Amino acid sequence: MTRPTAKEIKAMADAAGVPVDNDVAARIANSVGPAFDAFAAIAGTLPFDLEPSTFVVVQTEKAAR
Amino acid sequence: MKTEPALMSLTSVARAIADKQVSSREVTQSCLDRIARWQPHLNAFMAIEAEDALKAADAADAALAKGARRGVLHGVPLAHKDMYYEAGKVVTCGSRIRRDFVATTTSTALQRLKDAGTIRLGSLQMAEFAYGPTGHNVHYGPVHNPFALDRITGGSSSGSGSAVAARLTFAALGSDTGGSVRMPAHFCGVTGLKTTMGRISRAGAMPLSQSLDTVGPLARTAEDCAVLLRLMAGADPADSTAISGPIPDYAAATTESIRGLAIGVPNAFYVDDLDEEVASALDATIAVLRREGANVVKVELPDQRQLSAASQLVVAVEAAAFHKRWMIERAQDYGPQVLMRLQNGLAIPGVSYLEALRWRGQALAAHVAAVANVDAVIAPVSPVPAPTIAESDVGNSPDAEAVIQRLTRLTRPINYLGLPALSIPCGFTRGGLPVGMQLIGRSFDEATLLRVGAAFQRATDFHERLPKLP
Repeated sequence: MTRPTAKEIKAMADAAGVPVDNDVAARIANSVGPAFDAFAAIAGTLPFDLEPSTFVVVQTEKAAR
Repeated sequence: MKTEPALMSLTSVARAIADKQVSSREVTQSCLDRIARWQPHLNAFMAIEAEDALKAADAADAALAKGARRGVLHGVPLAHKDMYYEAGKVVTCGSRIRRDFVATTTSTALQRLKDAGTIRLGSLQMAEFAYGPTGHNVHYGPVHNPFALDRITGGSSSGSGSAVAARLTFAALGSDTGGSVRMPAHFCGVTGLKTTMGRISRAGAMPLSQSLDTVGPLARTAEDCAVLLRLMAGADPADSTAISGPIPDYAAATTESIRGLAIGVPNAFYVDDLDEEVASALDATIAVLRREGANVVKVELPDQRQLSAASQLVVAVEAAAFHKRWMIERAQDYGPQVLMRLQNGLAIPGVSYLEALRWRGQALAAHVAAVANVDAVIAPVSPVPAPTIAESDVGNSPDAEAVIQRLTRLTRPINYLGLPALSIPCGFTRGGLPVGMQLIGRSFDEATLLRVGAAFQRATDFHERLPKLP
């Protein structure tokens, strides 16, 4: 997973209906970049049939020691 | 009664009212007197409802005289973070946008405390839309730390931390999405409980991130938090994420010894790059726990930076989605920093957001495996004691996100995992600033955390220290 560029962010914001100017897009790229970098090792590696609801299953099954 | 009633703990004052050693009016008046003295210095309250509070106190006293005790907190006055809806009351959420918003429903957590007999003192300040870890608020001014007025309280439950520390309320609801209960507890020297995701209904609480938001109390002791948790926990038809099942007797847990419990100390991340006095407080806390009979062992946790990153991706998208309409229609009414952080969510693709959510179960399973041999993990809440209000007032400057992430570095991973964590006061710096530690537990095992916290508080007096009026 690569961090989005300011240009890409501007396009995404436009598509979301919340347009931002170039300076804001650049600032956002700088703010979110570290999160993308830190998550890069996980992104694209998850098994096919893993659902978000797995969290609740693990939470309740593993609650007891 | 010789003791100023407002200085008592929640459980003590509730007992004193029930035993008619003190009236609800005397207790409420005592809190209002302190509020009158402290509020000009702290800015902790959003609204003070003195007249209504005294009327409610008189009604509580009259009911008690007739033998009609409403619940275990009958006649106890409280105030809460101004994001818990109460029908007919203005709930600002710390914002300009909701300055005049009048709730039409009452939040489940608040209703359950009302059902237990509490009465309302007013509402407490907070970071705008609970999206800020410092206690700054451009619309209503910063909340001040009672132990050093030029210092931040932490946020987003800034008024809750400040008001509980100054003994203006016996306890207060906060919310914790990335550290918003634990940070004010740490910076202000009070006890704060971030509950397990699903432990307390969020119905009627302002949302920030539906995957990570949790309701939790700030109070003076672990025992007080235990009482409040018992009252609020459990299933709720209005919130499908609130789990059913038995609710432990948390207060009973606080009376148990911790002899033989295993406490884990992370060997990395949580102990890296700490302020020297925070590191010393951690060592001293570990020493107390050992003296009380706990076995303290090192634990190696999975990469916490990945958890933190996943947390950021989730919060950013969910917050932006909640706020999208206002971002379009009322962008000018947000504070610059909050708008800046909301805009971050526009930059995260849907696939990345869902990957962050899909990984959550695996990440929790890995954490559970890593801590299989311990009952709780201890770690600092923040790497530093309270910064000054001036130095942390970064607004929407280019380095603002980095400052925010540094302050919340040690709390965010726990929100992503949905785990409970109890912040307890465990020391003071040489300059008199409180330092807190978080005890991190297993899902739905708040009882063990409260047990350890209470044992620590029986052995120390950090939670009893009072700030002094300037």
